[in-house]
Amino acid sequence: MGRVFIRGTDLLTLVINFFSGNETAKDLLSRELVFWWIRVPRCLMAILVGSGLAISGAVYQALFRNPLVSPDILGVSAGCTFGAALGLVLPFDSFYLVHVMSFGFGLVAVSMSITLARMIAIKAVMILVLAGMVVLSFFNALLMILKYFSDPYEQLPSIIFWVMGSLSRVTWENVLVMAPFTLTGILLFILLGFRLNILSLGDIQARSLGLSPSFFRRLLIVTSSFMVAISVATCGQIAWIGLIIPHMARAIAGPEHERMIPMTALLGAIFLLAADTLARTVSSAEIPVGIITALTGAPIFGYLMIKNRGSGWL
Amino acid sequence: MAVILECKDLRFTYRQVPVLEHISFKVHSGRFCAILGRNGSGKTTLLHCLNNILTPDSGKVLVHGQDIADMGQNQIAQKISLVPQEHLDIFPYRVIDVVVMGRAPFLRLSQRPGPSDFKTARQALDFLNAGSLALKSFNQISGGERQICLLARAITQTKHLMLLDEPTNHLDFNNQYHLLSAIKSLCRSKGISIVATLHDPNMAALFADDLIMVKNNTIMEQGSAGETMTQKNISALYDIPLGIVKINEQKKLFFPESILSDPMNPTKTNAEEDKGDH
Repeated sequence: MGRVFIRGTDLLTLVINFFSGNETAKDLLSRELVFWWIRVPRCLMAILVGSGLAISGAVYQALFRNPLVSPDILGVSAGCTFGAALGLVLPFDSFYLVHVMSFGFGLVAVSMSITLARMIAIKAVMILVLAGMVVLSFFNALLMILKYFSDPYEQLPSIIFWVMGSLSRVTWENVLVMAPFTLTGILLFILLGFRLNILSLGDIQARSLGLSPSFFRRLLIVTSSFMVAISVATCGQIAWIGLIIPHMARAIAGPEHERMIPMTALLGAIFLLAADTLARTVSSAEIPVGIITALTGAPIFGYLMIKNRGSGWL
Repeated sequence: MAVILECKDLRFTYRQVPVLEHISFKVHSGRFCAILGRNGSGKTTLLHCLNNILTPDSGKVLVHGQDIADMGQNQIAQKISLVPQEHLDIFPYRVIDVVVMGRAPFLRLSQRPGPSDFKTARQALDFLNAGSLALKSFNQISGGERQICLLARAITQTKHLMLLDEPTNHLDFNNQYHLLSAIKSLCRSKGISIVATLHDPNMAALFADDLIMVKNNTIMEQGSAGETMTQKNISALYDIPLGIVKINEQKKLFFPESILSDPMNPTKTNAEEDKGDH
């Protein structure tokens, strides 16, 4: 699917050729390139980013004991986006610079939120959310300054494109850099599923059940923020996944994190894969996948809120 | 009788303001120890100091002779459980899944509860005659049922010491007695020691073996129920003149004197009793 059409039989030939080591026929060569160097990494990336964002959302919701939060609230995404925009505006024309800056500012944003919350030092959870909002607004303001001063013909469009999020620039290299982090994170969260149940009861009960909440909260926030930062640094902002997918998983698998965390990862992967497929097939020009996720995510979330009213999670 | 818990000269301050000072007492195995005091006297703070939810500024808490400051939170949780006062809405877990969380201190970090853990949880619910709640959502049962469920979790967690923070809050007339009887029978049948904060001195008189009376940030009086539950002590503890209604030779009830001297005014009686309950 997409601009270059590859028939099912050709696809089969390509896969067989790859594993048997046969030379590909001349007329299939361009399709082989498209398949192995564009489509496959892109699909893998959709799976990684989708499951990573969704599972970070699930962890945030458990940590903050609030089903309406997502990784965006600590300012991670805003920081990443600002970093990327700064990288695009700066005169050095380097693809890596954009990624590194994006990732770095994402982590700076979370650290700012956590530090600010520590300085206030009352009602840890609530203040952390508020501190996150402060940091988020700050980075959004910085982003606006950048947009205002950037070159409207060259730089502004690429910033806006970044903000909307897309998987179109994905390479094998990106996939290989991202996979170990995301997979480690997913594995960690799956292993700690039962502890997440206990953390979601709040600090007093968590402590009385033998868990040190401050240590776990730090570990989980840092890990999930890392996962989000690396996603945004590669693909831009892809909205809504961290918020709605955990809810869908909870509706299917129940609220116990042992079961809902793997379900969240699975649904996140499927959702973003489907959204990305839609993004590149709906029209001849590609639509940024962030628009698709927001467009489908918002109504789904509204529907879930209506359907689950009175069940206790609102 | 073996000493389960010993508190030695505990002191706790919040922002330089002393909340608790010179707190020393012992809890023996299989005894029900009630903490009485007015609102804001530091009862809950004291309870939270006992299992390291709060860290005291000075003084020691010993469990089986071991200082809890030298124990990990997990180790403490294996010996001391807590039935908290607050009922915050959480994700809609099933009751059995909340109860089985009591097994957490005994599981490895990445381990999840297995069939034997669920069996233990189920037994705890059955012990409290609440087996039928198991598959319901914790958020959709009544406050009293939630309290029973948290008590079952505490039973699942420890055979040694249980801390209860105002366990009869939110409970109706029937459930208050049902719960406290269940707690008392835990002491007697399983040898579990209980430290509970209570609002109602009459409840303490009916169920507690030992009393700790907290006033002005320190212990005003402590000892067995027979010695401490006197008109003079309770009157001093709540700053109110008291009258006594004798039921029989052993049992008596305490009421504010103003109520007893004015029995013709039942509306006032209700209002005063309400106040005393909350």
